[in-house]
Amino acid sequence: MNILRVPVVGSFLRWRHARPALQLLLLLIALVIVLHGLFGPQLAPRNLATVLTSIHWRGFLIVAIVAVGNLFCTACPMVLARDMSRRIVHPALRWPRWLRGKWLGLALLVLVLFSYELFDLWSQPRATAWLVLGYFGLAIVIDSIFKGASFCKHLCPIGQFNFAASTMSPTELRIIERETCRTCRTSDCIKGNAQQRGCELGLFLPMKVGNLDCTMCLDCVHACPHDNIALATRTPGAELLERGRRSGLGRLSQRGDLAALAVVFTFAALVSAFAMTSPAYVLEQRLATAIGARAEWPVLAVIFLGGLVIAPALLLSGAGTMTRLFAESRRTLRATVLAYAYALIPVGLGIWVAHYGFHLLTGALTIVPVVQSATVDAFGHALLGGPFWGWVGLQPGSVFPVQLGCVLLGAAGSMAMVQAISERDQPSQPMLASAPWLVVILLLTTTALWILSQPMEMRAVRFLG
Amino acid sequence: MRVGQRAQRGVLIAALVLCSIGLAACGRTDPSDAIRVAWTIDPSPPLVGEPIVALLSLHDSNQKPITGARLRLEGVMSHPGMAPVTAAVVERGEGVYEAALRFTMGGDWILVVSGTLPDGMAFKKQIEINGVRQIHSA
Repeated sequence: MNILRVPVVGSFLRWRHARPALQLLLLLIALVIVLHGLFGPQLAPRNLATVLTSIHWRGFLIVAIVAVGNLFCTACPMVLARDMSRRIVHPALRWPRWLRGKWLGLALLVLVLFSYELFDLWSQPRATAWLVLGYFGLAIVIDSIFKGASFCKHLCPIGQFNFAASTMSPTELRIIERETCRTCRTSDCIKGNAQQRGCELGLFLPMKVGNLDCTMCLDCVHACPHDNIALATRTPGAELLERGRRSGLGRLSQRGDLAALAVVFTFAALVSAFAMTSPAYVLEQRLATAIGARAEWPVLAVIFLGGLVIAPALLLSGAGTMTRLFAESRRTLRATVLAYAYALIPVGLGIWVAHYGFHLLTGALTIVPVVQSATVDAFGHALLGGPFWGWVGLQPGSVFPVQLGCVLLGAAGSMAMVQAISERDQPSQPMLASAPWLVVILLLTTTALWILSQPMEMRAVRFLG
Repeated sequence: MRVGQRAQRGVLIAALVLCSIGLAACGRTDPSDAIRVAWTIDPSPPLVGEPIVALLSLHDSNQKPITGARLRLEGVMSHPGMAPVTAAVVERGEGVYEAALRFTMGGDWILVVSGTLPDGMAFKKQIEINGVRQIHSA
């Protein structure tokens, strides 16, 4: 189904100013976040900066990706800000070849997740506001120097997260008729034209596969003179099984950085969820004693190193070695691991949805009293009534079945993907080749369910305090 | 082009309005800063689900106990999106006030004590209670 042909929704998306309208909305929300974060009450549950980012933005982002697609990249206000800045400053340089790929964006993603835990950003409205400002500043500076969507493609940590997650989205932008593209002489979808820029992320639509590196900006839709691009429904995750060369990315099987993104995306889901549980605090205390740490960062560094590097390296190399042995494969260990790494994304997404969905479902209504309170602060009168501080959301205990369903659905997706990869790459012994990876997924699933069943402990660790 | 300029102007106006709101909000001073508040909590450290008694003593700048204040207490977590707990505050005499409450989740809590003093002045204080523990991990 082509969503661009659906009444109302399709008409809106095909409207040339649909994206700026969505971006403007998020820009205004970002402005509110910054202003309330900087000048509002510094009590996290009473400040829009922390409430909107920790509860609503993260929750709706992940739900939107699962339900529709990469909508938050579509509506990214940072791109609107940099578009405005480019009216004044015109970038002249291309992003350096040696910096291309996902390694830098991946490092920034880990840095953001690490900083979130280290500085307890959920409890820091002012720091959250500065982080948002920092994001905007970095996007504007990078894209004022380098052409295209250099920030989105190579740096943006949120973007890299969204790219990985959106491989499981039920929609993608793709061509309608291949023959139309074959006879096209202008390639406006990537080159653009006088009225409309082409894809800034270097995706040539006839060779584009899936959602990796696609911000769903719809520039290609507006640029195509043949109206040959659809926002089509599809099977989530199927793009990860494509072996062919894809525009802007090459072959997945040759991209160690993309495989690393898939692995970090998955294991970071566990680390991030674990960090807010009671056993995490006990582990931090024990690690601090063991390594003699008097600050939190070395302890967190050990947890992140263990969770995002050592554990994945051991598990994946172990599973890869077993697969090669069981299937008597001649593929190298690296090639085997690269092939199967993408199968982890569904379970990783399931864990992220379970985690962020928990906060969204249990805290969705907190926005109401916080807005009411902000209105009282601003105008001195309860123009919106209240504040109704009792408005929170669902009881935490009632959300667990939903979390369980998300994780199990993700695990089922990963298992199906493992089997499909084995049938594709190890046709002689697909079941045996799959076995070690199924064990890895079972291990991840069990760990996720254990973490989600632990009592939460929302603490900003005061080390040795 | 015209749409873009209009959008830019709209964003600028919105920014100015929100800035002025923010600055107006942060420009206020808190008269209750002159009140000295001492507090204890029992048991300490507190445990999730267990009954907890918070004792507050209020003194003015001349060290005189403040009696007759009408106070309420609310506990919120440092993480947004969590249910708050509320407790009635009862005066025990000599400027001492007592509140009984139960924390519903482990982690860091902030007790917000607010109300009015005998002279009608508004009063608000925040007390950080770090490290509320689960019973099994205490």
